[in-house]
Amino acid sequence: MRADVRLGILRLTDAAPVVLAQAHGLFAAQGLDVSISVESSWANIADKLAWGALDGAVMLPPLAFAMVLGLRGPVTPLVVPAGISLNGNSITLSDPLATPVLEGGRPGPREAARRLARAAAGGPPLRLAVVHAFSTQDLLLRLFLEGGGIDPSRVEIVVVPPPDMAAALAVGEIDGFCAGAPWGVVAAEREAGRTVAVTSAVVPNHPEKCLALRAGWAAAQLGTVTALLRALEQAGRACDDAGTAPALAALLARPEWLGVPAPMIAASLPGGGGVEVDHSTFAAHGAMAARPEDARWFIRQMARWRDLPAGAEAAAVACYQPQLVAALR
Amino acid sequence: MRVLLADTDPERAAAVERALWDAGTTGLDRPGPGEALLRAVARLSPDVVIVDMERPDRDALDDLRHVARHAPRPIVLFIDADDRGFMEDAIAAGVSSYNVVGASLPDVKPVIAAAIAMFRRFAQMEAELRRAEAVLQERTTIDRAKSVLIRTRKLSEPDAYRWLRTTAMKTGRRIADVAAELVTERSADAG
Repeated sequence: MRADVRLGILRLTDAAPVVLAQAHGLFAAQGLDVSISVESSWANIADKLAWGALDGAVMLPPLAFAMVLGLRGPVTPLVVPAGISLNGNSITLSDPLATPVLEGGRPGPREAARRLARAAAGGPPLRLAVVHAFSTQDLLLRLFLEGGGIDPSRVEIVVVPPPDMAAALAVGEIDGFCAGAPWGVVAAEREAGRTVAVTSAVVPNHPEKCLALRAGWAAAQLGTVTALLRALEQAGRACDDAGTAPALAALLARPEWLGVPAPMIAASLPGGGGVEVDHSTFAAHGAMAARPEDARWFIRQMARWRDLPAGAEAAAVACYQPQLVAALR
Repeated sequence: MRVLLADTDPERAAAVERALWDAGTTGLDRPGPGEALLRAVARLSPDVVIVDMERPDRDALDDLRHVARHAPRPIVLFIDADDRGFMEDAIAAGVSSYNVVGASLPDVKPVIAAAIAMFRRFAQMEAELRRAEAVLQERTTIDRAKSVLIRTRKLSEPDAYRWLRTTAMKTGRRIADVAAELVTERSADAG
């Protein structure tokens, strides 16, 4: 039998609220039968949303907009009723580049980028990886580079799957990457590189993942969407509680979810102690509000680096529908 | 038509290859071991790329601008917006495909259809295998639950089975689920 809601996630720390809601029965308590598929690529998430194999996903806002605008696959109407997380990415460089940047302790992101510019001067163009062309990481990495006077269009930005980042760094295929947790820690643990900046320092409390739903599906079952949001809000609060971090890390570490050792995940959870990763925020600081100004910020950043169709900003802003979360109270 | 086939399952890849030759493919390549998809596309310059959806590196093919910078003949995600059923079948079978910008849909579609059919056949075989394993697993669990009942309640084997069946009927559950619960409780007590 078909579940009430079919959600897609990737193996990332910021999928935590969805995993916790499922494992602790928060969806069931709302009367929802939710099936969760752990996908191996953002492309899978996008394809499955586009052709109706998923109802919703923990999503990169820029990818959601790319789908809405038809920049990636068919034009796919989506709505974003909630944010899932704030912050949570690390900018990790190979040892030869990280060492001069980190001399005397990790500097602020602008100084880190300035030192990177000096370290890379005279060498071949930097090759830095992000997880997807339409990603928050792509936009934040560019802002980080600009902060230190590096022109992002002179850097080769490539796409590498998060689990392959550490290996690509170790063999010198890339000089660094910007990716969500826990992949910065994974690279550090494998001694492939070190984190020189976290994205919460580049743009404090920046929106990261959102909940994207197929627009037609969401409109036809508002009750289900409200129940889903209620469960995710409870889950988000639980994930923000530093006291639950060890248990949450152990849950996410299981092979059916992230399949990464629990200590590496714990470092990226609220209250976590890692220096190689950023910490995600799930419910605090209005993380769950799908603010139209966030959509505007993303689409304007995207427009700086690529041509967008006419009306892109209005279309993106229209996706963000904060009223459902606001009505939960 | 040159096809690049990127399938992580060697057995299925061999079967898909045969299907592709039959569908009129004139050249067939596979990425090298560990070779990233984008690099293979740049090296081989195929007309059609058929990709197992389990491959995480297909994200690199998601942006035409990005692909165009690296490949001599830029490729795009194959979309037949007028044939939703075709696209849904491909996803259900776990296969995605890309083709050279501007390639005509009628030429490309039969080749992709052949790949989808083979992926679907493998998905069905896998589902059947999983079902058979589940049945076997359930039988083992029921046997273990029976032996628990024989030991703890001093029931005969037929009575143990009858107990499981009656409990299942009374609580509206499957016998295998009642058995699994009993076995889990038992091992929790022991632990």
